[in-house]
Amino acid sequence: MASNGHSSPFGQATPNGNSNSSQTPRRSSRRRTNNSNSSPASSPFPLETPPSRPAGVASTPTTSRRRGTRHNPNATPSTPLSTDDAVPPYSSDRDENDNMETDGQDDTTPVFVWGTNISVQEVNGAILRFLRHFRDARSASESSEAADLMSEGKYMRVVHRIMELEGAESLDIDAHDVFEYDPDLYNKMVRYPLEVLAIFDIVLMDLVARIDPLFEKHIQTRIHNLKSSVCMRNLNPSDIEKMVSIKGMIIRCSSIIPELKEAIFRCLVCGFYSDPVLVDRGRINEPTRCLREECKAMNSMSLVHNRCRFADKQIVKLQETPDEIPEGGTPHTVSVLMHDKLVDAGKPGDRVEITGIYRAMSVRVGPSQRTVKSIFKTYIDCLHLKKTDKSRLQIDDSVNHDANNNAANHEEDDASLYHDKIEKLKELSKLPDIYDRLTRSLAPNIWELDDVKRGLLCQLFGGNALKLGSSGASLRGDINILLVGDPGTSKSQLLQYMHKLSPRGIYTSGRGSSAVGLTAYVTKDPETGETVLESGALVLSDRGVCCIDEFDKMSDNARSMLHEVMEQQTVSIAKAGIIASLNARTSVLACANPSESRYNPRLSVIDNIHLPPTLLSRFDLIYLILDKADEQTDRRLAKHIVSLFFQNPDNSVHEVLDLTTLVAYISYAKKHIHPVLSDEAAEELTRQYVQMRQRGNTPGSRKKVITATARQIESLIRLSEALARMRFSQVVEVGDVAEAFRLLEVALQQSATDHSTGTIDMDLIMTGISASERTRRENILAATRNLVMEKLVTGGPAVRALELLEELKKQSSMEVHLSDLKIALSTLTSEGLVVFHGDTIKRI
Amino acid sequence: MGGPQYDLLMNPLGAVRQTFEKAVASSQPSGLDPTAVYRGKDWGIVDVLNQFLFSQGGLAQVPILDASSLKWIKPNTLVRFRGMVQDMLGNEFYIGAFKDGCTWRTNKFLDFSPFSVPPVSETTLWERHLFHCVPVPGQNSWAIESTPYPLKINISNEMTCQHGEKRRRDDDPDGISDFDCCDEGSSSSNKKQKDCGSASHHKIAEITNGSSFPTNYFSCLVKVYDMPESQFKLNEVVEFIGIYTFDPELTTSNRSDSVDDDISMFDFMDDVATHLPPSKVPRIHCLVSQKLSTQDLISNSPACETLPNVIRGIRDSLVSYLSCTLGNDVIAAQCLLLHLLSKLRVKSDVASVGRLSLNLTGFTQESASIFGKQLNNAIKTLLPYSHTIPLTIEYLNTAMLQPKKDNESGRFLRLLMGALQLASGTHLTLDETVMQSGTLNSKGVENVLLLKHLMEHQIVEYDFQFYKLEMATEVQCLIISEAKSNILPADLVVPMCPSAVAPVSASEEQLHAWRWYLTTVRSLPHSTDTSICEMLQNEMVEAMRKDRSLGCSDLSRWMTMAQLMAASFGEKSLSVEHWQMVKEIERLRKERL
Repeated sequence: MASNGHSSPFGQATPNGNSNSSQTPRRSSRRRTNNSNSSPASSPFPLETPPSRPAGVASTPTTSRRRGTRHNPNATPSTPLSTDDAVPPYSSDRDENDNMETDGQDDTTPVFVWGTNISVQEVNGAILRFLRHFRDARSASESSEAADLMSEGKYMRVVHRIMELEGAESLDIDAHDVFEYDPDLYNKMVRYPLEVLAIFDIVLMDLVARIDPLFEKHIQTRIHNLKSSVCMRNLNPSDIEKMVSIKGMIIRCSSIIPELKEAIFRCLVCGFYSDPVLVDRGRINEPTRCLREECKAMNSMSLVHNRCRFADKQIVKLQETPDEIPEGGTPHTVSVLMHDKLVDAGKPGDRVEITGIYRAMSVRVGPSQRTVKSIFKTYIDCLHLKKTDKSRLQIDDSVNHDANNNAANHEEDDASLYHDKIEKLKELSKLPDIYDRLTRSLAPNIWELDDVKRGLLCQLFGGNALKLGSSGASLRGDINILLVGDPGTSKSQLLQYMHKLSPRGIYTSGRGSSAVGLTAYVTKDPETGETVLESGALVLSDRGVCCIDEFDKMSDNARSMLHEVMEQQTVSIAKAGIIASLNARTSVLACANPSESRYNPRLSVIDNIHLPPTLLSRFDLIYLILDKADEQTDRRLAKHIVSLFFQNPDNSVHEVLDLTTLVAYISYAKKHIHPVLSDEAAEELTRQYVQMRQRGNTPGSRKKVITATARQIESLIRLSEALARMRFSQVVEVGDVAEAFRLLEVALQQSATDHSTGTIDMDLIMTGISASERTRRENILAATRNLVMEKLVTGGPAVRALELLEELKKQSSMEVHLSDLKIALSTLTSEGLVVFHGDTIKRI
Repeated sequence: MGGPQYDLLMNPLGAVRQTFEKAVASSQPSGLDPTAVYRGKDWGIVDVLNQFLFSQGGLAQVPILDASSLKWIKPNTLVRFRGMVQDMLGNEFYIGAFKDGCTWRTNKFLDFSPFSVPPVSETTLWERHLFHCVPVPGQNSWAIESTPYPLKINISNEMTCQHGEKRRRDDDPDGISDFDCCDEGSSSSNKKQKDCGSASHHKIAEITNGSSFPTNYFSCLVKVYDMPESQFKLNEVVEFIGIYTFDPELTTSNRSDSVDDDISMFDFMDDVATHLPPSKVPRIHCLVSQKLSTQDLISNSPACETLPNVIRGIRDSLVSYLSCTLGNDVIAAQCLLLHLLSKLRVKSDVASVGRLSLNLTGFTQESASIFGKQLNNAIKTLLPYSHTIPLTIEYLNTAMLQPKKDNESGRFLRLLMGALQLASGTHLTLDETVMQSGTLNSKGVENVLLLKHLMEHQIVEYDFQFYKLEMATEVQCLIISEAKSNILPADLVVPMCPSAVAPVSASEEQLHAWRWYLTTVRSLPHSTDTSICEMLQNEMVEAMRKDRSLGCSDLSRWMTMAQLMAASFGEKSLSVEHWQMVKEIERLRKERL
């Protein structure tokens, strides 16, 4: 049925009246009927019988071809609209038997616009129906009771509003709505925009005249949001005279050109004023003689500028946006002609989406020559301009999310525009290895450091910010990360990369930043003398990532400013009469060198980092990036490089997301995914947390480890939420929690930290312990414990380690070395069972 | 039928017409509209031309269009143009075919129609793509006129450019003799065309006298038909064979004498004709095009086949030549050779493999004047495209390195060439010895960053005012400096130790062999033989254990050098021997640092 739409059913035609005519188009099985059941020949156009010349109607659309030329409202015959209200709005045009008979009485013969399959009456009717009865499916469902009450269509409401406001001169029509209501009308509109829009305007004017005959302003239809938009470089001859929608960036605007619309001439001899002369095919013909009967002087007419009517016109150059340019190409440009209200609607630098008619204009060889070159210049007659700004990530308003309804409308818009893009992202998110893939894609030129990258990924995705309803306190969702490491471990590169990736990244170096430079400062405006508040880096990176390099070189004063930012996410200023609290919902990514510029394994982790614990605890993840001499790593590096040169590079690269995809992925996740903890995950979280806290509080330890605090559990929640986000999952699962714990452990290399001394066991990092080794050690530990329980009495005399070793060897079947025993004993020491001093063991 | 009934060289449009009419006639019975049938399609003219050019050896008779030959080449004849795609000007719509009375006519390969054309509504528009092409920047004189075709090879001891001159002079009689053997009808039309052509030449002369264009500026507007999307990329070197058109009528449309009511609108709409006037920028309607690589510029010498010992011989002589130019410094010469052979093979976010930028240090003002000059000359005679940038403060502060879209209002929107808009495979020498202490202004800083970016990532950012686009380039960078350049980080730093100043000379034959060697070896594929991987890995791990300061970049450099070393011997796969040679070079180089 839809396919028949093109072959133009003739709506108001009598079924029997024209069936014998040779030019009758195939009748559509679904009749498009005009609702206006009482309508007599209501076409604004002169009617002729179809077989003779369908071209009969051509005159009207051609005069209305230039959208600038306005029809004289009086000239438009009215389309009756009166009895419509009785017809059920939505179903009327789809009903087969609807108003058949009334139509049958209609003697109207279809009139076609020359060269097209457009029947004027039919389109007229379709437009009218659309305007009167189209309802937004979304808003309709929301307010169904209102719809029952007021059966006014979406656009009727808009028309009423426009008429009330008086100021507006155009009616924006969403092409999606047209398509939804009547795909056939949509197709016609896109294929023959000049003709259909002319009818659109007439119908609209008619409609307005009906509501308020005194309303004189012309309301112009502006179509926007076409189903598909064309890429600028794909515009080709077949698009000419069609409605197209393209995206681009305005790079140049001409000055405003006044275009003559109506000219009035005055006779220089008798002073007679002529009637307004309209533009005909782009020019105005000066009357050669005075029109007054009495005068008739030749060549006496001169233009009266003051009484002519001009319209604004502007030519705008649109250039392709970088994402549409293929590799090795330069951006294309296209000229866009703006009329009236659209003049100056966009400035150079704006990203816009333009809906208009693609036109070609023949090039004249010279001004004097009438010969026309065979070359054409193309331009777009603009109908609608929409500013789009998609250059940067749209930042979600996760804190003030109460305005949900507002956002919904907006998101709807986005979703339709970027639908397939989002589909692609969703597909990506379903990949089982998306987590690894994302990790690989982050700073792929930096070797290894996978766990650091994972942490940074979590930072980019972020957790959910919570606002506790009653107290007004909020829990931050941003994850703060500190990188501490040896020089030359590409920390700064990571920072630079993150800065590039995050929507509103600020990069500063600690050495050059002052406290006020980071937060906010008050200055006197040199001109007015008023004190003004200037935002610093942290405020500027609100909802972004603030990267602070050389964190350790920062002055203490400046660093202390960060306390508030990192937990409360605000910057409070009380200075020179200004007391303000600014939002600084930013994730802090800082990097620092160890206190002795190289990591000293003899000192504890805390001593190496040498930052106040209050500040440290505000970092969710603290990474120690150590430059370890390790053959394994060396070998991996060597292998990596050799394979780069030998293997087909494609297979090593293809699984990496490119930067733009990564940015799109992150922004989508941040905006649309708000995961919630599942019950099992919450349980796991508490269990692990309790375990972690116990570990920090081992009796006998020197408390130089990072102890678990309440802050840790918050950061664990954030991390697990971020991990769920990466999978586009709305639920935080146990796996996410486990991974969050692992990340926390890996950061700071806690797994390798000796909890009794707080130092990192370098052997542990370098060699690692295999699983079998671990069980062997556990066995020895158990044996030693038994032995100690057996042989030693609490507070009793000390025993030498060698003696114990002998005993152990006797008992156990395995081979036991002194070193093994020492490891076991040190564990027992940490358990508080024994005291191990030099070579002697004492039970306590 | 047999041979062509028309003279393709002098009257290609005749051939276009004839083939079109034939095609229309053959499709007429089916009653199809030729505008739709032949839109975006070739109707046989390309085949005819291909046959003539490549099977009948017609190519050599086609004159090459350049600044000097522009003066005497007649309009509407077949020309050849080699150039770099400098800018893409989008596409142009024209009336492709129309019915004049009862005969079908075509406008393809024409700027305007000699016949009156119907209004646009009655016909289908065709489209063609416009490219603004310039002679390849930095093209060295030996590479300009040489052609890859067998005809040229016989005379190899003569300077190729002279030869080119000679050939062109020979061309005219050729053309006339061809023209003589044509049948009467078309020859008279040819005569007419000739007259018309000479008349228009007067016009060209007139116009160029008052031109504001620099006289040495030469560029071409190439109109390409039936091209698949993005066939040509920016900065590609392409040979176009097509019809050079010049229409005196078009040039008269000067804006000064036009008072048309909508001229302001015309002006704003990028009229290619007014901004690139045909009198200054010749038009070529391209019939056949072919991308050129550097190999196409060098004739395939029959003496040099890829026999290992031949290659080795050429290599040895080249190394000794290079060491001569560098004052008998063999290590530097070896490194220079590897550098000249380097080529970016793989580029991704992860790593760029294959590039080896070289920094020769130890130059003083004096030695730079000797060795620097010698080195430059050597590079110029060896490589087809080379460019030298003197890094003075003043140059950096003023020069336009970055290609930029000219966006000043009222001017035609096009890409202005920056010094870094280079064809792929260009050699870039950056002379840091001339640098004095001074202050860089913002433009200078920008330029330095641009150069740095180019060296590190082989990417040049083009400025399109509202955004910048990164264009991948493939440029070998050589820096000569006093000490290690800190501004421009090179992959390989080699201090020069010249011992003697020797006069450098090379015979034309040798030069030819070396050119062939350099381009051939550069384009050799590297094999992916992985048998040696294990050994390499062990060596690397061992080296890293000995020297903790070794990083990723050092290891990749070794790999690059080893592969280039293997390639320099004509080997496709890397062997232990090559690896050892590289290690030895590295050892000697380290000693100098």
